[in-house]
Amino acid sequence: MEVLLPKLPSFKFSSPSHCCSITIRSSSFVRFGFRRVSSLSVFASTVNEAVAEPAVGSPSLGHSTRPHFPILHQEVNGSKLVYLDNAATSQKPTAVLKALQNYYEGYNSNVHRGIHFLSAKATDEYESARRKVASFINASDSREIVFTKNASEGVNLVAYSWGLSNLKPEDEIILTVAEHHSAIVPWQLIAKKVGAVLKFVDLNQDGIPDIDKMKEMFSRKTKIVVVHHVSNVLASVLPIRDIAQWAHDVGAKVLVDACQSVPHMMVDVQSLNVDFLVASSHKMCGPTGIGFLFGKIDLLSSMPPFLGGGEMISDVYLDHSTYAEPPSRFEAGTPAIGEAIGLGAAIDYLSGIGMQTIHDYEVELSRYLYERLVSVPNIRIYGPAPSEKVQRAALCSFNVENLHPTDLATFLDQQHGVAIRSGHHCAQPLHRSLGVSSSARVSLYFYNTKEDVDYFIHALNDTVSFFNSFK
Amino acid sequence: MLSPTTLFTLSSSSFNSPLFPKPNTFTPSKSNAINAINAPCTKPKLGSNVAHKLSNLAAEFTSLSQPIDRVKRLLHYASLLPPFLDADRVPANRVGGCATQVWVVAEMDERRRMRFRADSDSEISKGFCWCLVWMLDGAKPEDVLMVDRDDLADINVGLGMSLKAHSRTNTWHNVLFTMQTAAKDLL
Repeated sequence: MEVLLPKLPSFKFSSPSHCCSITIRSSSFVRFGFRRVSSLSVFASTVNEAVAEPAVGSPSLGHSTRPHFPILHQEVNGSKLVYLDNAATSQKPTAVLKALQNYYEGYNSNVHRGIHFLSAKATDEYESARRKVASFINASDSREIVFTKNASEGVNLVAYSWGLSNLKPEDEIILTVAEHHSAIVPWQLIAKKVGAVLKFVDLNQDGIPDIDKMKEMFSRKTKIVVVHHVSNVLASVLPIRDIAQWAHDVGAKVLVDACQSVPHMMVDVQSLNVDFLVASSHKMCGPTGIGFLFGKIDLLSSMPPFLGGGEMISDVYLDHSTYAEPPSRFEAGTPAIGEAIGLGAAIDYLSGIGMQTIHDYEVELSRYLYERLVSVPNIRIYGPAPSEKVQRAALCSFNVENLHPTDLATFLDQQHGVAIRSGHHCAQPLHRSLGVSSSARVSLYFYNTKEDVDYFIHALNDTVSFFNSFK
Repeated sequence: MLSPTTLFTLSSSSFNSPLFPKPNTFTPSKSNAINAINAPCTKPKLGSNVAHKLSNLAAEFTSLSQPIDRVKRLLHYASLLPPFLDADRVPANRVGGCATQVWVVAEMDERRRMRFRADSDSEISKGFCWCLVWMLDGAKPEDVLMVDRDDLADINVGLGMSLKAHSRTNTWHNVLFTMQTAAKDLL
């Protein structure tokens, strides 16, 4: 039998008490050799002394809101959880959990049908949630808000309803290569059905969608432009108001994927002058299973139904039906009632803090993350460098040379309790443009702190050092 | 399946070095190297080398309580994976559904034994691949098909995945599925 020796002299299968042997091999990591942290206060004070500025005055938004999120206060894999995968989904505050519990304990009932007390109460709360969403994005009328199961369903709704009835062969649909698959695939399906053409805006030299090229792409053939507001990979922000203007100048519509903007900043659909906008509840402290589509009321009113079922009809005959007015026309079947009410509670919670406060804090956190991350050797961060003019969202997608992002994310999770995302983040065309198959992504929300960032950076350095020791 | 502990009683010192030999090259006669493992074992219920190796893997990873040790073990096994031809690193050999890029080449030799080669751009996935190749290379196609997805749950390395769940990050399941599909096709 062949016995193979390990590649490195230090390679050994240590007992638990020696599990940190890798981290202390390099002197530069000695002070970060800790890994089991029993409480937030211990951790925070340790890191504060080491790196972050001492906390003076009032606590940061991250520190003051963390207690509202029970899930954050746990250990995973023997380390304190540091949750940095917020672009995938956000955590839920107690207020939202309570709203869900109140609904199911107190007034669970079907909406819009029963005349009994519970049904009336459920209907009131459900419709109140719709008004909250409308007000949150400054829609002029709550009828412009259609509840969907997620943002993807919102895009599909527009593609199948508006797209199928308005697109003809050779009509053009403009997108960017940085779109989420959910924004690309429905339009590929529709384009194939009607013979329309998808035109993609590439990245410019700075690694962001080339807006100048996009402007040149508009023509009378353009019927709709489908773009993200904030990129879930590049952290860049598109000038939606300008894009809407260019589109409207040629008679085209605008559909905005606002999944990464609505949770993090004030979004005003009237000011942006967009025709359609989709977002999802679970990325903004609300429950999964619900999202929404905003559509200008005249557009929604002219659109045929997408899905058939109860609720969306006016009258049903054996050979045909007439349809309800928006938004009911697009909400076939019993909706996600509890989830909608939970989303309403999330909006109350976010509004209580203030979206401007959240945004300002995240801008600060984003700068801090970028500055710390860019100091890691052999790292490539995608998207624009932050500057006075360029604001990045509070996320960074990156690769470290010769280290697979999934290996990196696995080790961060197992050894340090840090949750980040690895993969293509549902943006394969963008990754191809960037010349890689995947990347690691760290994404923050307002309940994260600079200490979270510090801990992540230490963990990342330790991870890189660990894998390098095997080369 | 049998509990690993009933099959495999190792002193802790046995884990100071990796347990298993390199996967065999294309020499089926050497595929019984498992017999040389210095450990007492009862006869596996399923009566095959594959079941035996599966138990060994389960015993090995169960004995490593610290995640970092499991990662180290996988990285070591990754380093044992034989070089993979560039010509084989093509879309047709890609394992679908993995978060990393994984390639598997499956063939049957003249003795009707399955021969597997695999590679990945992720070191941890390469470690998984080594384990599966070590377990299934040289096996009869029927034995390859006998491995149940849930059996792999007992080799719970617990690395960023719940092995009970079918997930796009679950390299174990996806690579095994590819190997089994190939075995079925070649039967």
